[in-house]
Amino acid sequence: MIRVFGLEKIYHLGVVKVPALQGVSFEIHRGDFLGLMGPSGSGKSTMLHLLGLLDYPTAGTIEIDGIDVSDLDDDERTDYRLRKMGYIFQDYALVAELTVLENVMLTALAQGKTDAECRVASTNVLSIVGLSNRLDHLPKELSGGEQQRVAIARSMVNRPIILFADEPCANLDTANSRAVLDQFHTINEELGQTIVMVSHEEWHKEYFHRIIYLKDGQIEADERRQHHRKDDEDRS
Amino acid sequence: MNETVTRLKLSFFLGLRSLRRGNIGSLVMTVVIIGMVFTNMIFLPSVITGAINLFVDQTIEYSSGNVLIEPKEDAEVIEDLEDLLARVNRAPGVLRAAPHNNIGGVMKFKGSRLAGSVIAVRPRDEALVTGVSKMIRDGQYLGEGDTGVIIIGNYVAGHKDKSEDLMPSLGGVRTGDSIDVEYTNGVTRTYRVKGIFETKSYMADQVAFITWEELESIKGQQVDQATEVLIKTVPGEDEEEVKLALIGMGIQEQIKTWHDLLGKAFAEVVQSYGVINSISTIVSIVIAIVVIFIVIMIKTLNNRRQIGILKAIGIHRTTITFSYVFQVIILAVMGIIFGLFILFALDRYFSIFPIVFPDGDIRPAFTLADIVTNAVLLFIASAIAGFIPAWQIAREEILTAMRG
Repeated sequence: MIRVFGLEKIYHLGVVKVPALQGVSFEIHRGDFLGLMGPSGSGKSTMLHLLGLLDYPTAGTIEIDGIDVSDLDDDERTDYRLRKMGYIFQDYALVAELTVLENVMLTALAQGKTDAECRVASTNVLSIVGLSNRLDHLPKELSGGEQQRVAIARSMVNRPIILFADEPCANLDTANSRAVLDQFHTINEELGQTIVMVSHEEWHKEYFHRIIYLKDGQIEADERRQHHRKDDEDRS
Repeated sequence: MNETVTRLKLSFFLGLRSLRRGNIGSLVMTVVIIGMVFTNMIFLPSVITGAINLFVDQTIEYSSGNVLIEPKEDAEVIEDLEDLLARVNRAPGVLRAAPHNNIGGVMKFKGSRLAGSVIAVRPRDEALVTGVSKMIRDGQYLGEGDTGVIIIGNYVAGHKDKSEDLMPSLGGVRTGDSIDVEYTNGVTRTYRVKGIFETKSYMADQVAFITWEELESIKGQQVDQATEVLIKTVPGEDEEEVKLALIGMGIQEQIKTWHDLLGKAFAEVVQSYGVINSISTIVSIVIAIVVIFIVIMIKTLNNRRQIGILKAIGIHRTTITFSYVFQVIILAVMGIIFGLFILFALDRYFSIFPIVFPDGDIRPAFTLADIVTNAVLLFIASAIAGFIPAWQIAREEILTAMRG
């Protein structure tokens, strides 16, 4: 469903060229929970930004459901991100002046849905992440874990075809990290949600179906995991 | 179209919540500044308009009436006065006509000499047409048939210490004092000063009045001539129509409305004041633009990362830009409403305690049109000042903005 071919990204620091990705090619299938891992500077965040249409590649193509999204102009990319993609950032990235419900409603409202439709959809997704009792709270009144669950709900409200998470547990303790990852696991398993997540925590591997290890802007390994967490749970 | 409406609705949603749940101190400060700017835009011009209105009112009330009849172009006086007055007083829209006969003379008091206008009037008619009778500062107004008495303007009376006088005077005449008047026909009379009037009009307070009977006594004959006839029109009557009615009655003398009298020179003065008003308005608008620009620039810079995130999750840059424009529009509306409160408070205050100037008490004057025009100007300026910084930040690259 996602085909990445010969993806390159070169940053220009003055006259110095810094290659962040060097001709990377791979595919992501619907329903995958893909982990992008690797050391700092390996290119995993760059990869996520390019896949999420937040940045432009220097060379190469990204095809999503048969559409070459590299060709989209700025407005089309914005619309594509709104309708087809969901994002979760490491610092939650909620709008401080909006309540939990309003934060989640935001992207639904941007699609032109009615207030009532947005409210119902948002309330439903917030109940999935266990925040039904926090609808009217402002982000500053929530814990880090709760804020990240709001971000998950926001990313899910439009039922995106792919969800990008950029180190979503970086600011969370282990308990909250596990809660967030469990949430990802649930929506991946139960809703078939495709998720691409950047992480550098070894213990996160247990949640991924597949892990692409990046090093110096190239794929070092592409590992499909046979026994991820859900399988273990089923077995137990 | 539908997409535009969706974006604008979302902009309003974001803008309103940002104001409601944002920094209250910053909101109040911005509203106060916009309110003060709006007040400044209207108040200074309103003082100037008040001064112009005062000059016009004084001219009508004390010097010219609403309509003035002057001698024919080739004549020095109006002849057949009684006949003219009878016709004018019957004309539609005329409340009363009052003749003036300016005989001029040199007034003397304790060694001071002052050449000026000594005007013969019919006190009852004069009281119906001009406001001089109501502005007696000291003593009494002229009585019908008075002889041997004179009333003089405040500037004619002057002060003992002449340095206190704005213009040449008789050096401190008081009611009851005697002054001599040497007329141009060689007659000299001594008058008891019956009253001193103070209208605060430079033109009116420089003259002296005697009665028509006194004039006839000086001339030694009945006087059926006038140098001018002042006409007071019925309140609300259009002076131009009264003028046309008088012309229609066959009156040959020059008939001028107060507007004709003030003429081109006055129009130029008003235009000059207009230039001052425009400069003041432009300065106020520039201040408003700079303040709003800075407020929104700081706000957008502080929210730079958030703007980047909004773009990242698919919120269109137009929506983001207009969320700030809506904030500015709401701030401008609140500021204008605050400014209106200040203006109406000032209006009430100055209607009770006018600004005292040597030439009269000025009440700032502004109209609904002034308020609407300035509100629209400020509104547009605010929207532009809010749009530019928001537009600049909203068009930044997503990742650059997200780095903050």
